Amino acid sequence: MIKAGQIDKGTALLIKGQPFVCIEREFVNPGKGSAFVRLKLKSPATGQVLSETMKSQDNAEDITVEDKDLQYLYNDGENFYFQNTDTFDQVDVPMKSFTDYEYFMKEGETYRATFWEDQVLDIIIPSKIVFTVAEAEEAVKGDTVQGATKYVTTETGLRVRVPIFIKQGEKIRVNTETKEYLERVNS
Amino acid sequence: MGNTIALMYDFRMAKLRSELLMNIRKYFIDKDYLEVSTPTLSPYLIPEPTIKTFRTEFINPFMERTSLFMIPSPEIFMKKLLAAGSGSIFQISQCFRNAEQLGDVHNPEFTMLEYYTVNADEKDSIDITHDMIKHAVPSTLDEEWMHNEPLVISMHEAMMKACAVDMDKAEDIDYLRKEAVRLSLQYTEDESWDDTFNRIFLTYTEPWLPKDREVYLTDYPDKIRCLARKYSDKPCRKRWEMYIKGIEIANCYDEETDKEETRRYFEDEQALLEKERTETGDEISPSDPDFPSLTIPKSSGGAMGLDRLLAVSLGLETIEPLLLFPLSDMLHTVKANSSNQR
Repeated sequence: MIKAGQIDKGTALLIKGQPFVCIEREFVNPGKGSAFVRLKLKSPATGQVLSETMKSQDNAEDITVEDKDLQYLYNDGENFYFQNTDTFDQVDVPMKSFTDYEYFMKEGETYRATFWEDQVLDIIIPSKIVFTVAEAEEAVKGDTVQGATKYVTTETGLRVRVPIFIKQGEKIRVNTETKEYLERVNS
Repeated sequence: MGNTIALMYDFRMAKLRSELLMNIRKYFIDKDYLEVSTPTLSPYLIPEPTIKTFRTEFINPFMERTSLFMIPSPEIFMKKLLAAGSGSIFQISQCFRNAEQLGDVHNPEFTMLEYYTVNADEKDSIDITHDMIKHAVPSTLDEEWMHNEPLVISMHEAMMKACAVDMDKAEDIDYLRKEAVRLSLQYTEDESWDDTFNRIFLTYTEPWLPKDREVYLTDYPDKIRCLARKYSDKPCRKRWEMYIKGIEIANCYDEETDKEETRRYFEDEQALLEKERTETGDEISPSDPDFPSLTIPKSSGGAMGLDRLLAVSLGLETIEPLLLFPLSDMLHTVKANSSNQR
């Protein structure tokens, strides 16, 4: 058990038998009232988001989670398919629970995942990833308004604004939070 | 290095804050309110079990060490001045509340405007507050809410519209609990009426309040005890809370003038405070022994969070950019420094 006031972003809870992960937390102190906490909780299985208001002193059922390394194989538009690098078991993760994650999933790359029993609650995307430029637009000559940049598309389909010197087939490092170009990687 | 750090401070924000404070002072002084300055350290407080305070210690070689508390609001002293015949008064002061979240719209130390108008009630205070905000917000700031007429809505109407809870029946805790269940909320058997009410209010009603104007939510349930006068004809108190963009900005009472009511309030709340502090192991702040015997004149008092007012005037949802030294940053620096030394 955990007090509601101790629930943080990323805390995993069991609600009516289903695991949920806290994605937003806000403390509220109503005038002349006890402390409350407003939570947004997401179900990794369905993507459903619950809004809960709890007293800070309320008990919630937290669950013990475990991190495991998964190697990304492919997706079929519905599920991501991984292989557990220890057991070689295949792990399926519904894509609708992890919106836009496909842009950061590189075949053969290893990702850290948070498990509760057999279920994946979270997939941790590294803050920087190296991608290969799959398609590069032609730079428009003399266009310096944007600081001489253009768009490229990575092998995962992510569109990134890069300096005009980046060519198709080259490797670039990207900040996965901001989706911004960081540097060219010499291979 | 000093210069580099100085450049990181947002002096534009500091200038806006200065302008806001200057305009507030001008507004009240032009209307003959007296600006007062009262202590922020006090050996006694108004008992408020739900507000955690900061405690410190006065060390004097000629007497025993004495606990002092950082005031959560200047109410106690300002009402003493009212009782002594000050007439209408206002104060802009630093206030302190412990055990609250860091960030968003909270900082343990914050700037509060407290203003008391004699011979006025809480309805008059709505006009005063709205007018004061119009004059006080720096003229360069322009947000949608400033263009719309304020909404004055009773708690009864707001609860009915937001979640169909009938406040006429809600005095009965069984009704309130049934409504909580209907609204898919949990409650615990030992919790107070206030807690169950707040579960419903915070989940449904507060988020429902319009965000594009000042919203004055009036006529709070009588059951939530405070130093606001009761209505004689309905189970409500003459109290309002004002929201802008869903953020609680101010509250206001038609001040309790009945000494017997005040004495009972002090006794009951102090008992609750002592129970709560004993459970948590925190020191019990004494309640002001003189307060219940004060003759408070007919008056209405408001308290407004000025960091929050400035934030919503800038279209921000957090007060942090307005603070030159947010406590969260200072703590982060201390933590980083101590781990470097290890």
